[in-house]
Amino acid sequence: MIENILLGFATAFTPENLAYCFLGVFLGTFIGVLPGLGSLAAISMLLPLTFYLEPTTALIMLGGIYYGGEYGGSIASILLNLPGTPSAAVTCLDGNPMAKQGRAGVALFITAIASFVGGSVGIVALMGFGPSIARLGLGFSPADYFALMLLGLVAAVTVGGGSVIKGLIMVVLGLLLGTVGTDVTTGDFRYTFDFLELRDGVSLVAMAMGVFGVSEVISSITGSKTRKISEKVTARSMMPTRQDLRKIFGPMARGSTIGGFLGALPGAGTVIAAFMAYATEIRLAKDKTRFGKGAIEGIAAPESANNAAAQTAFIPTLTIGIPGSATMSIMLGALMIHGISPGPLLISDHPTVFWGLIASFWIGNLFLLVLNIPLIGLWVRVLQFPYKYIYPVVIALICIGVFSMRTSVFDVSLVVIFGALGYLFQRTGYSPAPLILGFVLGPMLEENLRRAMLMARGDPMRLISDPLTGSLLAISALMLVWAVFGGIRSLIAARRKGRVFRHRRGLRCWPLPPG
Amino acid sequence: MKTISLRLIVAVLLAGIGLTALVIASTYDIGSARRMGPGYFPVVLSAVLVLLAVAEGVTAFMKRAPESSSSKIDWRPLLAILGAVAGFAVTIALFGLIPAFFVVIGLATLSEPRYGWKPAAILAIITCIGAWLLFSQLLGMTLPLFRLGF
Repeated sequence: MIENILLGFATAFTPENLAYCFLGVFLGTFIGVLPGLGSLAAISMLLPLTFYLEPTTALIMLGGIYYGGEYGGSIASILLNLPGTPSAAVTCLDGNPMAKQGRAGVALFITAIASFVGGSVGIVALMGFGPSIARLGLGFSPADYFALMLLGLVAAVTVGGGSVIKGLIMVVLGLLLGTVGTDVTTGDFRYTFDFLELRDGVSLVAMAMGVFGVSEVISSITGSKTRKISEKVTARSMMPTRQDLRKIFGPMARGSTIGGFLGALPGAGTVIAAFMAYATEIRLAKDKTRFGKGAIEGIAAPESANNAAAQTAFIPTLTIGIPGSATMSIMLGALMIHGISPGPLLISDHPTVFWGLIASFWIGNLFLLVLNIPLIGLWVRVLQFPYKYIYPVVIALICIGVFSMRTSVFDVSLVVIFGALGYLFQRTGYSPAPLILGFVLGPMLEENLRRAMLMARGDPMRLISDPLTGSLLAISALMLVWAVFGGIRSLIAARRKGRVFRHRRGLRCWPLPPG
Repeated sequence: MKTISLRLIVAVLLAGIGLTALVIASTYDIGSARRMGPGYFPVVLSAVLVLLAVAEGVTAFMKRAPESSSSKIDWRPLLAILGAVAGFAVTIALFGLIPAFFVVIGLATLSEPRYGWKPAAILAIITCIGAWLLFSQLLGMTLPLFRLGF
C-alpha cells in the first residue's frame, strides 16, 4: 500500500507529468468557465492533444481537465447564475445570492476549499477501496459483468430524474451505435454501409463533440447575450471570515461522505451527490429559511460532494472497467485508445497508470486551489469576454480536434450528423449522456452476453438462477419498474390537475425535503 | 391551432432509425441464443428502439403540449454552425488546414446577423496562428497547411 502510494507520487512528480497536470487543470477550468461547455466537452475537445503523450501522462492531463472543468463550471454559476455543468446547478442556489450580496470572492474561495476537501476524501476512498474492488472483480463471470453493466445503464436512466422513456431510447440508440463496425467475435461488418472508416466503428470523439459540443454551442448562441458581472473579484476579497470557516466544517465533512459514497455507485454521479448534500444541509439546519439566500453551507456541502463523487466515480471505471457516467466513459475510451485494456487487471498490470493517476489527482486538486486564487481575475475576464468571439473558435477547435484524431474527413462529417441529432435531442428533452454511456458499454455488454449465454448453453434461466447475476438483474428490473410506475403516476396526477407537465429548465426532478 | 410538435417529429425520426436498423440487421446471421450471431444483438436492440420510440411518439401525440420556446428550432445558428463544420470537412480535403479555418470561422459567424467580416477575419487569423503553434510546433503533428488535391 505505502510503496504503491510512493510509486504513484514518484510517477506524478516527474517534471513532465507535473507540467501536463497543470496544463490540464488550467485548460479544463478555462473551458468549464465558458457557458454551455462542461467538463465532458472539455475532455472530448482536448482528447486529441493527449495522443502524443505517454499513456500515464495523457491520463493525468485528462484527469486535470476533468476536475478543472468541474471547478470552472462552479465559477460560472456563482458569478452569473449560469451553471456551466449540471452538477454546478446546485451551487447556483446559494452561490449567486452570495455574489449579489458582494461576497462573490468568499463564495469562490469556499468553493475551492470545499472542492479540495471533497476531492481529497474521494481520493482516499479510491486508494482504500480500489484494489480490493478490483480483486472482487477478478472473480466475476461474464454473466456478472453483463448484469453489472445493465445495472449501470438502467441506473443512469432512472436515477437522474427526467423522462425514463427518453433516457431508455438514448441508451438503446447508444448501444446500437456501438454495434457499428467489425463484430469482434465473427469478424463480420455491421452497419458499415461500405464505408471503410466505419469498420473501426463510429468515432467516440466525433460523436461526443457532435452531441455535446456542437449542439451546446448552437443553443448558447441564441441564449444569454447579456452577461454582466457588476462586482470586481480580487484575491483580497476572497478571504473568508473566521466565522465562515467555522460554519463550513460540518457541511464539508457531510458533503464529502455523501459524495464519496454516491460517486462510486453507477448512474448516481456528481449531480445527485450535490443535490443530496444540499438537501441534507437543509434538513439539518436550525434556520432553514437562510438557504437560497446566500447560506455558506449551501455552497460548501454540494461542492465538496460533487468533487468527492468526481473522484470516486473513478472506482468502477478503473477497477472493473465499467464507467458510471458519460464523462467516465470518455475516460475509459481514452484508456483504450492508449492501449490499456480496462478491467480488474488494470491495477496489477499497469500500477504506474493507476497509482500515478491517483497521486496526480491530489496534485491537481492542490493546483486548482493554488491556481484559482491568483487567477480568479483572469476567469472573470474570460466570463465577460463576448461570446460572439468565442464560439467560432470553439467550432474550429472541435473540427481540427476531430480531424486530427485519425486525419479523417469522414469523422468531421459525422460531427455534422451528430451535431444535428444532438440539437434535436436537446430541444426535445433527451439527455445525451446515456447515449454516450450506451455507446461505450455496448460492445462490452454484447461480448459478455454472448459469452454468458454460451456458458449457460443458451438457457437464460441459468443466468437468473446464479445468486449474484440474478440479484443484479433483479435490482435493474425493480429500478425500471419503479421508475416507469412513478412516471405513469405523475402523468395521471398531472391529468387530474387539468394541466400538462411541462419540461422546466434548470432545477427540477429532485424533491427537496419540506421545510 | 394544433401543430405537429417537434417532440413527435423526433419520436418518428427515432422510430425510423430503429426500423432501418432492424431491416438491415435481419440480413445478418442471427444465430441461436446459445451461439449468438452478429445479428442477434442488433435485432433485439433495434426492435426495442422501435417500441420505445413508438411509445414516446404516442405520449407526445396524446399530450399535445403547447409549443414552449425551448422546443423551437433556431434555424439560423443551426444551419450556420452545421454548415461551418461541413465546410471545414470539404475545404481541408481540397485545400488544406489554413483555408479550412477561414471557411469554418467565416460560416460560423453567419449564425448572427450583422457580425461583420472584420472580426471574423481577425478571429480566423488568430486561430490559424494558434493552431499552427500548438499542433505543428508544440505537438509536432503533420497537418496539411496548404494543399491542392482534387
